[in-house]
Amino acid sequence: MTWRDAVAMAVTSVRRRLGRAALTVSAVALAAALLTALLTISSTAETRVLDQLAKGGPLAGIRVAAAEPDPGEIDQDDPKPGAPKVLDDAARRRIAALPEVRSVLPVVTARLFIANPSTAQDGSPVEPFLTTAVGVDLSQPSRLPITVISGRLPAVRSTTEVAVTQSWLERFHIDRKEAATVIGVEVEAAAGRLDASRSQRGTIRGRWVRYRIVGVVAQEAASGDLLLPLAQTEAARAWSEGGIDGGARTGLTRSPYSGLLVVADGLDAVARVRTRITDVGYSTSAPENLIASVRRYLGVVEIVLSAIGGIALLVAALGITNALLAAVRERRREIGVLKAIGARDRDVLRIFLVEATVLGLIGGVIGAAVGYLLARLVGIVVNGYLRSEGLPGVRPDVPVAVLVGVTAGAGLLALLGGTLPALRAARLPAREAIEGS
Amino acid sequence: MAGAGVRIEGLRHTFATKQGPLTVLDGLSGELEPGAYASLVGPSGAGKSTLLSLLGGLEPPQTGTVEVDGHRLGGLSSDQLAAFRSRTVGFVFQHFGLLDMLTAAENLEVALTITATPRGRRRRLALQLLDAVGLGPRADHRPLELSGGERQRVAIARALVNEPSLILADEPTGNLDDDSTELVIDLLESLPRDRGCTLVVVTHDRAIAARAPIRLRLNQGHLVAAP
Repeated sequence: MTWRDAVAMAVTSVRRRLGRAALTVSAVALAAALLTALLTISSTAETRVLDQLAKGGPLAGIRVAAAEPDPGEIDQDDPKPGAPKVLDDAARRRIAALPEVRSVLPVVTARLFIANPSTAQDGSPVEPFLTTAVGVDLSQPSRLPITVISGRLPAVRSTTEVAVTQSWLERFHIDRKEAATVIGVEVEAAAGRLDASRSQRGTIRGRWVRYRIVGVVAQEAASGDLLLPLAQTEAARAWSEGGIDGGARTGLTRSPYSGLLVVADGLDAVARVRTRITDVGYSTSAPENLIASVRRYLGVVEIVLSAIGGIALLVAALGITNALLAAVRERRREIGVLKAIGARDRDVLRIFLVEATVLGLIGGVIGAAVGYLLARLVGIVVNGYLRSEGLPGVRPDVPVAVLVGVTAGAGLLALLGGTLPALRAARLPAREAIEGS
Repeated sequence: MAGAGVRIEGLRHTFATKQGPLTVLDGLSGELEPGAYASLVGPSGAGKSTLLSLLGGLEPPQTGTVEVDGHRLGGLSSDQLAAFRSRTVGFVFQHFGLLDMLTAAENLEVALTITATPRGRRRRLALQLLDAVGLGPRADHRPLELSGGERQRVAIARALVNEPSLILADEPTGNLDDDSTELVIDLLESLPRDRGCTLVVVTHDRAIAARAPIRLRLNQGHLVAAP
């Protein structure tokens, strides 16, 4: 009897003994569902926590400041930068050329006057104020330490869309939970330039733009109330620098870039890249130590959850062993008949092993699907809570490897669980099996 | 299909019981020509089924010689005995021995699967044989949907599907009513005549035993000619 015939026979057997098969499959499916759900939840939690630590950016992200490095900073995640230092295109190119550097994105800040809205949410007056707008390349959001809390990011080429940060919400006394209320609000902002005039102090002229708030974000690219496409802050900056004081009156720094966002080849490469950037002469910060220690703890959690799911699968495999042992007892006559018509011991072994594996695989597939749905359900509940707290939601992260692994694992455990009953069936003497019926 | 010659010599078989060894076959010897039709009677526990299982290669002989169609069963390995059963012997049991989860046709196809008959031929052969025993229209019925007589005819068809040279029927009518008994016995009796195979029928029914040209009786471990 070929494997193909054994599979066909096992499938027929399972299909036509649905009642018995359903019970065995249910046990495996429950265990596989539990394991899938636990691994999915664990994986999602890990992604969420690490995402929070990296502020939505890549885990191997490094922020480079336009400042001298502190000699002892490498061991610290977020050291105090030294004296200001110009960060220009030459420095950007040098850093981009360093080994293990995957990408370098510039951060350009501009100083803007905000003229409205003139009242906070609680009705208290807000005077026009000077703030910092952060400009980054929004076409590569996955490489930016930005998390959208509400709404969306400004369109890459937009000249009128802006996202505001949490510090903006605080300025207008808006609770984080009500972040969405600012979306759609229009803001008049101006980059200032000091022009020569008859008076000794000169005249400030503004480059006015009416922005519409399209999102609220948490971001770590640079300190500022507003997030804009890079081209917008570059234009505002160019305007301010055109003044007779080069923008000093509005608090503009001399450095063309206020920072760089560097992505290393991997988390392991972060420390080495930071050392090399320090050697180039700039201050860096990265949450690498925090991420590494949190990852270790999350690894322990994952092991514990996997062990719980694994034990469930083991219990299911014992269930399969038990069910198949009972089946061997009940199917003595069938085994005897098969032997009487010429089936070899290994044919009988093959039929029972394949049947156990088929039961395990069916249970595994059903379990993985149910586990995935369970994880989605948990995700919906968790998202409801997170959103009520004004936090960004999570999307259950179900790695394909988990689905495939759980299904294959269920099949393998069933195969192992079915070995003893299959051996017992194969060794049944033919005549005894027939007479035993 | 040619019938199998059967020869036994000095066949002895003992069971271990709590009360000590129990000898059911005590030095049996005998011979059947190819294409012979023999009935075997005897009281319960006389060793009729044991003799049948030894002839059919369900177990190797403990002592003595069993030779069927030129195969000396005593020296065969487990796999060789299985191959012998699949090619040379067809069994018909009192309780039909059909697999309940399979249809009538599939029960025949399983036997063809074991002999590695090409997939495309299995269904065709199965249907031909079911037609031959008058059950073509019931090919897709499962055993529990058939009457006792129909089940036994399916079992006979399965016994024939690999064209064996020896048919061993153990109380084939034990669970059948009179009409079905007649049909089944007619069918079995046609086998040596139409297909040339050797037939041994174990029965308690004297009338059925009397229909065989060779009538044997097992008594106290010895094989004797029955009246």
